[in-house]
Amino acid sequence: MKDIERFRKRAIFHHWWIVLCSFLLAVTGLFMFMETLSPGAMGGYSRIIHRFAALGFVAVPIIYFVLNPKTSLEWLKEAFTWNTDDIGWLQAAPEYYFGGPEENMPPQGRSNTGQKLWMVVVIITGVVFVITGAVMMFSGVSGVAVILHDIAFIAGGAMFLVHFFLAVFHPRMSEAMRSMITGKASEDYVKSHHGKWYEEVVAKGEQS
Amino acid sequence: MAKAILYDATKCTGCRGCQVACKNWNGLEAVETYNWGSYENPKDLSTQTWLKMRFIEKGGTETDNMRWLFARQSCMHCTDAACVKVCPTGALHIRTDGFVALDKDKCTNCGYCVEFCPFSIPRLDASLISGIGDKATKCTACTTAGLNRIDNGYQPACVNTCPTGALTFGDRETLLSAAQDKVAALKSNSHPNAYLYGENEVGGTHVLYILDDTPKAYGLIEDPKVPAAATAWQDIIKPLGYGIVGVVGLGLILNIMVARARIISREEK
Repeated sequence: MKDIERFRKRAIFHHWWIVLCSFLLAVTGLFMFMETLSPGAMGGYSRIIHRFAALGFVAVPIIYFVLNPKTSLEWLKEAFTWNTDDIGWLQAAPEYYFGGPEENMPPQGRSNTGQKLWMVVVIITGVVFVITGAVMMFSGVSGVAVILHDIAFIAGGAMFLVHFFLAVFHPRMSEAMRSMITGKASEDYVKSHHGKWYEEVVAKGEQS
Repeated sequence: MAKAILYDATKCTGCRGCQVACKNWNGLEAVETYNWGSYENPKDLSTQTWLKMRFIEKGGTETDNMRWLFARQSCMHCTDAACVKVCPTGALHIRTDGFVALDKDKCTNCGYCVEFCPFSIPRLDASLISGIGDKATKCTACTTAGLNRIDNGYQPACVNTCPTGALTFGDRETLLSAAQDKVAALKSNSHPNAYLYGENEVGGTHVLYILDDTPKAYGLIEDPKVPAAATAWQDIIKPLGYGIVGVVGLGLILNIMVARARIISREEK
């Protein structure tokens, strides 16, 4: 069976880099959120880890953007391009993800509506994290900054659970993990999960 | 039993013996001072100065009209302590006697207490960028581990040294009723604005002030409040966060159980 390239190598590296930084940030951040975990913050090492991870969280996406401006902008455009198909997806998704028949799902682009929603959440919470974090790092703790930082954490964290669950456990997302490691997904999977994008890929293939 | 420190401003001569005793007992370093136009020195609290007297000059330049008001500037030991509410590690905690103690071993220099204290009392000297530096400091009413006077039957160092009796230490209730009598006496003796500061402020503080004028005249904060942001953050946003994550988590567990079963049953047909 033919494989189709879903993600380029550098995009995959970028993804896992953000995973690493976010993981460190979330764990060291939780020390300050949950009193039961707070012994982890003793000695102040978690603060230093949080700051270095934050640096990586900010620097690498900027470098990525500078090196890949075109694909980065396309990705941003994709995240914020929503139309009536997305409403159809949102209506059909609960039934589909709870194991209902596949036929009712409207065909999806390179990223489906749920993935786009996650992209939007990542972008918005990322910006909120960076701005409020920078305020606290350079001008001191402020009530507004702490609260916004926490709201971003709750919103982003809840959505992350869904993202992680779908990628790792959900039976319908059987090739999600594989495509974020090898960059490739089977033709069948792409056809059934990203119908609209599959047509584009096929059309492009015929042109060249 | 709730304890308290009572500061009677009408007996205070501004000698600053309390300032010195505090540094002496707690092993705090002297801070280099300079003339900034007031006898009040040092100018502000710091990690090395947990208690200082505020000097307020009232009235004109004429000696006859001049009044000097002295006000203790240190931790108020609030019942509704904002610092305790926001402290993420439990380093700041309220003792059974009502004093707000600080366990430095647990402090991580986060600075939340500095931001949220309605009286702007805690101080820390940590680099914002690296987070490295001195941990949060404030008056612990001499309950610091290893320097604990209270639990060994002594008065706080500041009270012990006060030569005029402006500072007294004891059961909060006893001190409160004595202070109420004193304020009533002041009111009927040409001090209509006399006020007992700390009786009801932020849930009742464990440092009480007998003032012969308004709190404002003494440079104290009128009607201090636990910042709304602290309450919103700790009492609304955090529980909401646990709730949201819990609901999402349960939803996902339910999802995998249902989805697996349905997909398998369809495949078997």
